[in-house]
Amino acid sequence: MSALRTAARYARLSWFLGGVGLHRLVTYRLDFLLGAGAFLVRVGVQTAVVGLVFRQVPAVGGWSYHEVVFLLGFSLLPRGLDHLFTDQLWELGRKLVQRGEFYRHLVRPVSPLFSLLSERFFHPDGFGELIVGGVLVGWSGSRLGLDPTATQWALAPLLVVCGALIHTAVKLLFSSLSFWTVTSLPAMYAANQVSEFAAYPLDIYHPTLRSLLTWVLPFAFTSYAPCAYLLTGDADLLVWLPAVTAGALALALAVWRRGLSTHETTGS
Amino acid sequence: MRAYVPFATGGLQSLLQYRSMFVVTGVTAAAGAAVTVFLWRAVYADAPASGGPGGFTLAGITTYLLLAQILQVLHTNRVDDEVAAEVYRGDVAVMLVRPVSYPLVRFFACLPVVAANAVLVGVPVLLLFAFLVPLAVPRPGDAALFAVSAVLSVLIAFCVNLLTGMAGFLTTNTWGVRMVKQSVVAFFAGQLVPIALMPGPLAALARALPFRGMADGPLTLLLGRYDGAAGAFGVLAQQAGWAAGLAAVCAVLWRRALGRLEVLGG
Repeated sequence: MSALRTAARYARLSWFLGGVGLHRLVTYRLDFLLGAGAFLVRVGVQTAVVGLVFRQVPAVGGWSYHEVVFLLGFSLLPRGLDHLFTDQLWELGRKLVQRGEFYRHLVRPVSPLFSLLSERFFHPDGFGELIVGGVLVGWSGSRLGLDPTATQWALAPLLVVCGALIHTAVKLLFSSLSFWTVTSLPAMYAANQVSEFAAYPLDIYHPTLRSLLTWVLPFAFTSYAPCAYLLTGDADLLVWLPAVTAGALALALAVWRRGLSTHETTGS
Repeated sequence: MRAYVPFATGGLQSLLQYRSMFVVTGVTAAAGAAVTVFLWRAVYADAPASGGPGGFTLAGITTYLLLAQILQVLHTNRVDDEVAAEVYRGDVAVMLVRPVSYPLVRFFACLPVVAANAVLVGVPVLLLFAFLVPLAVPRPGDAALFAVSAVLSVLIAFCVNLLTGMAGFLTTNTWGVRMVKQSVVAFFAGQLVPIALMPGPLAALARALPFRGMADGPLTLLLGRYDGAAGAFGVLAQQAGWAAGLAAVCAVLWRRALGRLEVLGG
């Protein structure tokens, strides 16, 4: 019963703080437009590159043009969902521990992780990623004449959520390192850079790189494995998704808790 | 000129405080190179030894894309974010009371960054890929032309980054502006798709823009893809022309921007 009440309380808080986040969006409109515009240019360039690659050959690593665009679009969905809710982790990795500003999350009557994340819900860039990703997936899906089965329709949102949780877990793990190293921005940045690989079919990469992306930093499960399933019904890799998501989250939360317990704030 | 030497050594010292930045730059460069290299290698997997699309061989296209990425490491001189941040915070005012030219200070401060990036990031990334995939070996003459061209490309990159940083006079979301710059420059420099593989009108546009001198120009020389001495001279002349032109634009815009600068403080 009390667990239920706690959940309801967090839900109410999220609703309210989410509203604050949206309000902020409307207030800083130019910043929002610049951020969203910059993002559009970036994805536009990425799509153009894929288009130019396929001017030369009909298939890359066994994937056709529309399939690669589908993958590129799908990879933006979990990334965008994660972006909406957990962008504050960048602040933790960047400066919260370094500047001794983290303590304020320890003195609030909610879990420190929720307190940290809720400082900024609904980051504008996340909306951009979700919209562009949705458009790319819808367009390429219709060009491919994709006709998902009922199971695939039902699983698709879950795949996006699991992918987002994997992104969150990696981000949480690397930002938690800042409890020991004071700032972990370089490590976070490097991990984020590695996630860019997930926008293209894994088949084109060197085998070492492929296993790194599957089993070490499991970004393959955020886009490649779900797309292989949605496009061809091939679920060989996908069956590992629940285990990988749970494992990644458990590891990240363990590191976060360990970090919290060793944390001593700096002060002046 | 001697007034500016301390800024170069100072830049080097502050750089050595943030050594982990080199690891980040290295991982970013290696990851960026891996994406483009493997994507295009998949295209050229079945290309004949005489050359596939655009006349590139498999080793040729790999070398092109890898070195384009390494040139980009040389162009990551942090001028854009530092200028934008100093304008945003108003720190630029401190610089303005000194008897030196701010753009020149920035230029000298970025030289050690470029040199350190070349040695500590460029060389290891090059060796890593040389170990993984076969690369084309250039003729000595072409390598010498490439060296000259790479120096010119660093000048162009400095001007482009300075102009990007000056966007801080107009907007506070310089993050967005920098992201647009990065995407547009990478594309039109030929770093993601060699200009020779772009469709006609797009290739013509890319050849006319200054960004061509940042990757495609030097690599045209390195891979010997030019028509005799006149062709090589043409590439270098275009680069030099753009470097001079952009420097002039920087000087004019900087003077104009100072006119509208307001710094609050107390």
